[in-house]
Amino acid sequence: MEMGGMALLVVGGLVVLLFAIGVGIYNRLVAFRNRYKNGFSQIEVQLKRRHDLIPNLVETAKGYMAHERETLDAVIQARNQASAGLARASSDPGDAAAMQGLGGAEGALSGAVGKLFALAEAYPDLKANTNMMQLSEELTSTENKVAFARQAFNDAVMGYNTARQSFPAVLFAAAFGHPSDASLLEFDSAAIEKAPEVSFQGA
Amino acid sequence: MVGLIYALAVALLGFQGVDPSTGAAHFAPVWLDPGLLATVVFSVGLVVGGGSAYKTAQLRGGGHVVAEHLGGRLLNGDSRDPAERRLLNVVEEMAVASGTPTPPVYLLEDEEAINAFAAGQGPGDAVIGITRGALEQLPRDELQGVIAHEFSHILNGDMRLNIRLMGVLHGILIIGLLGYFLLRSSLYSGAVRGRGGRDQSVLIWIGFGLGLSLVGFLGTFFGNWIKASVSRQREFLADASAVQFTRNPEGIAGALARIGGFGPASLLETPNAPEASHLFFGSALRHPIFATHPPLEERIRRLDPQLAAGLGAAPAREPSGVAATAAPLAGFAAGGAGPAASVGRPTPEHVDYAARLLASIPADLREAAHEPYSARALLHGLLLSGDAAVRKRQLADLAQHAEAGVAEATAALASSLETLDRAAFLPLVDLLLPALRRLSPDQYRVFVENVDRSIRADDRIDLFEWTLQRVLRTHLRPHFEAMPRSRKRVSRLESVRGACEVLLSTLASADHDEAAARRGFEAASAHLGIAGLEQLPADRCGLAPLDTALDELAAVVPKLKRRLVDAAALCIAADGVIEIAEAELLRATADSLGCPMPPLLLGRRGAVR
Repeated sequence: MEMGGMALLVVGGLVVLLFAIGVGIYNRLVAFRNRYKNGFSQIEVQLKRRHDLIPNLVETAKGYMAHERETLDAVIQARNQASAGLARASSDPGDAAAMQGLGGAEGALSGAVGKLFALAEAYPDLKANTNMMQLSEELTSTENKVAFARQAFNDAVMGYNTARQSFPAVLFAAAFGHPSDASLLEFDSAAIEKAPEVSFQGA
Repeated sequence: MVGLIYALAVALLGFQGVDPSTGAAHFAPVWLDPGLLATVVFSVGLVVGGGSAYKTAQLRGGGHVVAEHLGGRLLNGDSRDPAERRLLNVVEEMAVASGTPTPPVYLLEDEEAINAFAAGQGPGDAVIGITRGALEQLPRDELQGVIAHEFSHILNGDMRLNIRLMGVLHGILIIGLLGYFLLRSSLYSGAVRGRGGRDQSVLIWIGFGLGLSLVGFLGTFFGNWIKASVSRQREFLADASAVQFTRNPEGIAGALARIGGFGPASLLETPNAPEASHLFFGSALRHPIFATHPPLEERIRRLDPQLAAGLGAAPAREPSGVAATAAPLAGFAAGGAGPAASVGRPTPEHVDYAARLLASIPADLREAAHEPYSARALLHGLLLSGDAAVRKRQLADLAQHAEAGVAEATAALASSLETLDRAAFLPLVDLLLPALRRLSPDQYRVFVENVDRSIRADDRIDLFEWTLQRVLRTHLRPHFEAMPRSRKRVSRLESVRGACEVLLSTLASADHDEAAARRGFEAASAHLGIAGLEQLPADRCGLAPLDTALDELAAVVPKLKRRLVDAAALCIAADGVIEIAEAELLRATADSLGCPMPPLLLGRRGAVR
């Protein structure tokens, strides 16, 4: 009977241990997921701010550069696309398709706005407009905040992915409702680099 | 519990099986078996202790663990939603009034009921959670009453008690779960082997599982009962404190009446509610025996007998969102007790003062405090030196080491900061802490390096810089780094004599007048009641030794801490003048000792004796 008692203890201990490990992994994954979701809400606030500023910017610019209608329309269109991308992404932050969509749309928006600013160089009156100066200042600061919030979000995503892939957790992750890695948010920089391309006709 | 399990083990091990020929059970229990008793004690201790330790360790992660467990969403400090903004303003006022960092606020999005909770180990890692129902249905004064109630839990240390209770109960719960698991798996394996194959070992397992489930059930039952009765007393206390903070019984009573009017309007949906039921403002669960909260009628009656009388007959006030016009009672000065009496007990004057102070902060600074990116710039801005050369060096350092745009943002905020009342500096730090907690660990590292660099830019540490460092160390660092936790409790001030000398000497030397410093030191050491304390010469006290001394004094038991805080105040007030920097030094000292202090109402007679 001594042996039976011992076996009972050992098995019981093992069960407790396994149970504790399971609960621990579950809670850890949930905590990490909440962290990056909270991180995304920080980006969301700043991106919304950016999307709110841009129509004002276009409205201000319109009075001075009526001939650049195409560029202005392109900015508004890019802004609307980014706004839709943001709505999609915020329902499921970390989803690869949503993140890629948002990254691409924001990249395109940055490109369009960059082009607008490059063209604005040719309109000294516009550049001297206080409203325009204020808006561009606020856009720059918002963009800095977006970059910073994005860095924090990506750090949190990396933390989650590492937690998900590390050893005992990787066995249970899928069963606990964490089937795949969260996706980083990268803004499509190709579109941004292309931006200040100003065409000189027949120079 | 140990006794029950021991009896169970004796009975089961004594059970030798069923004699196949006679059908009688062989039963030969050995009632006293020291070895078995030791095994049982050991294993019960292991399971309960292990379970508790695990849960406690998890909860030690801070209040946000609980909030996230319950499905809360962290509210953005710079939210533009009007209802959220109002809530955050109420929380900020209460935080500034009680001298704690603004706790992060979590919204339980899917809960229509009116409820709220506070969780965390102490003011440094506390969070407040609130349901969407409360956010949308309560008018401002009722919301303030609810938030004041939750702050009272934070300031009275109820959360630590609650979390300990949650931990221990979890350990007991595990025993029950274990039994249930054993029972199920042994029944299952017995069934698999077929009718004839049920051997004795399976029977023993079934009996053991059944017994454990029973013991676990009883343990959880009584545990919950204890939890509930402790919690009920704490709720009365928190209700009373909420009135004390706001001097407006109608606010909190109105919120309670509203819950009453909506039927079971405080019940929650989340499956994780039972574990945390005692944390909430109103009952989160239905069972009356396990009620963690006193009956609503009783709570309202104690707050506002008139309202309670009307509640039975008339329906609850309609949720119009119109604030009740509460005639504020005439404020009277806090009694003649020392500053320690105000620790954890802001008065309505403090709340008014906080509201005025917050209103005086320029909008761009307040906005900057709510968002991690600009909150850093704001903190760097507070550290900018008055000396132009040093300031230039600080900004150049930022441009070189901080993320793009931080130096520019700091410079831009600096002009607004120049117009800011000096008394608002530290409250501003209280406001921006939650934003800083949202930094990622890498961002935090860079930020702290930059703060250190900025402080060292002029090769000396002034009082404000030291205070700021102290606040960051107490309230921000534990979020990012595992802090060594000393379990040592000091119950006699004589055993931390050296630290007391450093504390009093340093604080006394903040007085410019040497004779006054001497007087302050004498008065303070008499108050501490330690014979023969020596005032240290200037080279042996100062801000650096004070850091170590405070770490040592943090282990002192709460009762003696009050004496320390009063003694510290005596030192500082000896020359009859309390400058803002001195007041801040006192607050940082009290804060480091775990005694959050409401702002000193400077310029008012009687605020400090």
